[in-house]
Amino acid sequence: MSTSKPARTGDYRLLWTSLLVFGLVGLSLNAFGRKAGMANRFVEIESMERIEVADVSTVVAGSSRTAIPEITEWVDPKDPRIAAGAVKPIPGVAPITWQVRSLVSAKDAAATDEARANGDASAPEIVRSPIDSIGVWVAAFLTLGIFSFLYRDNPWYKIAESVLIGVSAAYWMTNAFWSTLVPNLFGKLVPDIVREIAIPKLLPSESPNADFALAVVPLILGFMLIWRLAPRGGWISVWPIAFIIGTTAGLKLVSAVEADLVAQAVATMKPLVVLAQSSESATTAANTINFWGTVGSVVGLIGVMTVLVYFFFSLEHKGAVGKTARVGVWFLMITFGSAFGLTVMGRITLLAQRFEFLFNDWLNIG
Amino acid sequence: MLQRTIPILILAASGALLIIAYFSPFTTSWGEVVVDWFNVLAAVAYVLGAGNLLAVNLEKVSARRAGWAYALLTLLSFGAMLAFGLFKIGAVPNADNPNVHFAGSYESTQSAFGWVYEYILSPLTATMFALLAFYVASAAFRAFRAKNLEAILLLGTAFIILLAQTAAGMFLTGWIPEASMFAFLRLDWMKVAITEHIQTAGMRAITIGIALGIAATSLRLILGIDKSYLSKN
Amino acid sequence: MKISIPTAERDSGSSAHTVGARSLLRIVRLTTSCLATSCLTMCVSLVSANSTHAMPPEATNVLVIDEPGDSGFALRVMWTVPDPTVTKQARVERSATTSERAANPDEAWIEVATVDAAAGVSGLLIDGLPKSSTDPTTTEPIAVRVGLVGTDEETAAFVESEAVVAVRNIFLIKRLGLAVALVVVCGSVIVWILLSRTGRSVKIRRIAALDAVDEAVGRATEMGRPVLFVPGIQDMTDIQTVAGITVLGRVARTAAEYDATLEVPTSRSIVMTAARETVQAAHFSAGRPETYNQGNINYITDEQFGYVAYVTGRMVRDKPAACFYMGAFYAESLLLAENGNAIGAIQIAGTAEPSQLPFFVAACDYTLIGEEFFAASAYLSGERDQLGSIKGQDLGKLFVAAAILIGCALATIAVFVPEGSVARASLSFQSFFGG
Repeated sequence: MSTSKPARTGDYRLLWTSLLVFGLVGLSLNAFGRKAGMANRFVEIESMERIEVADVSTVVAGSSRTAIPEITEWVDPKDPRIAAGAVKPIPGVAPITWQVRSLVSAKDAAATDEARANGDASAPEIVRSPIDSIGVWVAAFLTLGIFSFLYRDNPWYKIAESVLIGVSAAYWMTNAFWSTLVPNLFGKLVPDIVREIAIPKLLPSESPNADFALAVVPLILGFMLIWRLAPRGGWISVWPIAFIIGTTAGLKLVSAVEADLVAQAVATMKPLVVLAQSSESATTAANTINFWGTVGSVVGLIGVMTVLVYFFFSLEHKGAVGKTARVGVWFLMITFGSAFGLTVMGRITLLAQRFEFLFNDWLNIG
Repeated sequence: MLQRTIPILILAASGALLIIAYFSPFTTSWGEVVVDWFNVLAAVAYVLGAGNLLAVNLEKVSARRAGWAYALLTLLSFGAMLAFGLFKIGAVPNADNPNVHFAGSYESTQSAFGWVYEYILSPLTATMFALLAFYVASAAFRAFRAKNLEAILLLGTAFIILLAQTAAGMFLTGWIPEASMFAFLRLDWMKVAITEHIQTAGMRAITIGIALGIAATSLRLILGIDKSYLSKN
Repeated sequence: MKISIPTAERDSGSSAHTVGARSLLRIVRLTTSCLATSCLTMCVSLVSANSTHAMPPEATNVLVIDEPGDSGFALRVMWTVPDPTVTKQARVERSATTSERAANPDEAWIEVATVDAAAGVSGLLIDGLPKSSTDPTTTEPIAVRVGLVGTDEETAAFVESEAVVAVRNIFLIKRLGLAVALVVVCGSVIVWILLSRTGRSVKIRRIAALDAVDEAVGRATEMGRPVLFVPGIQDMTDIQTVAGITVLGRVARTAAEYDATLEVPTSRSIVMTAARETVQAAHFSAGRPETYNQGNINYITDEQFGYVAYVTGRMVRDKPAACFYMGAFYAESLLLAENGNAIGAIQIAGTAEPSQLPFFVAACDYTLIGEEFFAASAYLSGERDQLGSIKGQDLGKLFVAAAILIGCALATIAVFVPEGSVARASLSFQSFFGG
């Protein structure tokens, strides 16, 4: 088939530029021309205050913060124990106040607005959040950037990709730091320091020495791994790798045989004949053979066996073995087709959610 | 010796030990200890990952290689997010210990880290995931063009299962009475028959094969027959 | 059975004239016995106000043993019920330990459970017992007592056992079936490795996907384009990643021999380290150590979709001529494979993630399905020991197939004879392996 291609530069540049201008004008009209606006985000503001208190017996009038023993806590000023006289605020310690801003849906925001207008003083304080609205714009920009890849690789996608790599790498590293290194490594090596600066509620260990020793092992292995960066002796990093591969092999060998091999083999050991349970009588004599159930069981066993033959490596797929393996391949293909079919709807739902974000959250035209 | 024999011994000993440990109540928890160790080790190893990411992108930027601006963008986003998270910038104080800054939480959009997660990381990953809807369609189309029996079986089954999940399935074959001898022509009947009997059988055989494969692979490593992870310098 | 006939009837009919007097005597006797019974019943009622029946007899043979082959802190108590007709349940209590008595001095016995009286035959497992203060793997000596409860809620006196210490055993008996399976599977592999050393043929069937490795790398070399190897998105704690890295070793060796550029983006720091080690080893064994460039093996990000965004972007920009996906994959499998397709690369995938196999099968030129993937590095190495291990896998498969066929046959017979010995054999066969 021969087609004469249009001269790319002139025609397409005009097309894309006009599309861009049209899009920008449309967006501006949508954002500023409509009363409802777009990319709206609302937050509920909750004011928090905490004061430091100690057991009433330990707080002596006129004493300074340093004279107070270690056991203090931060509580709400309205804590009933203060009124009851069980605990007493520590003099000279300023209360800490802050605000908690939690996102609420536009619908809830409108409802609360209405309640406030009707004089309901107990309705929470809900305000527009420009910083979150900016976030929606950023999210929309990046979402479209990723979608633009469907057309072709382009700078917009490259921006989204670069940001995604940088942000996600840092995200996982930060998570590993706060959720693994701090509690499981530092928390065992230097628990007092960790309690003071990061996890005040870190429980004291039952056997601190054993915990310390157990925490040192991965640290040493980690150093060996990092030693690769050193100019000499980088080969030492093979030791921790060998340890990781060895433990993985040991753990997975057992779990594969237990959870996959034995469990699946036992699950296959089902009767080939399925009886139809009679509703009137539970006796065997009253049972008849369930035709489709029996066919299903027989087909199931044939499936398992033929696929196992397909995986048999010692014999070439020729003759009877070849034919059986072929049947095994058919079973595999139906299995894959079925899994494929079951996945499609889920993927379309994901796409629909992204469109929902673009149309509802960002454009506000849903 | 140090570079070859010892790693082989470490691998063999740690693997064999964990296999035996599973069978004794005194040692059965060793597996969990090792998994904990691995998590710490992986967290420490981020130094290597981060170092590599920085080195590759810094080199690109400093040498002004093609696409250096994108490398700069990666570096900036990486540095910013790392700072936001490690210093917990804008974190919401912990209600029980507001005096300890690092006890605060960085999950809400109020903190810089949470904001980036909510408006940059989360939409980006969700959109990458959503791209799959298009690729599923193109893969189905590709399978459709391959005109052999296997491809037809795969695609035909996928089509039946997909139809049976939608209203179209009911519309097309819902009129066939469930009690009749032609009930097997109903799409919902076919879906159950395929998933419960054929797919289950196929998956079982695949899983059994995988288990044997894992066992043999692990053994090859533990016995020191497969040494491909060892460099020879 | 000996039947005793009442004296009055035995003598009946011996002489007619005595009938009247005997009848009178019988009535008197009956009346007397009725009166006596009534009085007795009344007395019993007075003693035990809420019971009108006899109390069940006490349990006999109350025996406590340490549960064998367990992880400790469990005892098994067995007992015999002398008269099951009047016994309904059994109340089981255990003696309190020193620390429990210290906490609650009034409670010398702690109730464990009230179970069906017949449970005493197989025994009742009492687990979760507190550990001893001296040895954390055992308990203190603990006694158990059993009180039988009658059909009318009347409880017989408790019968106490000797005190027994629950210890932790060396071997977990419930994992015996697994141990046997493990020995069979590993034994098959080891036997074949040894056989291969004696010169037995280790011929393996062709695996098209693996035969295509050389072709794919060769094509990339000819076209002057790179080879892309993706080792999955999991860490080294997933055996698929380990298997992927061993395949990488073979692919890297071919690439080194052909002098093709091999790029390995990784999503884990440790995988990057292991991949560098492996690729370097491959260059050495190919005799080309100078061509090894660790800059081609990079860590990208741990985030699944961040990683795939990079790899797909890289694919459309660099247009690798051959793409290998070997390891653990999830949703990204199709994103990778479809993009690889779009750039016209030869694609060879291998994974043991059943949910992703359909997508690789649909979109790649060759796919190593599950077990084939694990056999890949052994197949590519061409070493006798490694090929022998694949044969061992096959032997293991034969054992599994035979076990399944036996299990199915037993279960099928059991359908028709549910009470027979075959049914029992079928159950034992399956439960031995944890079914």
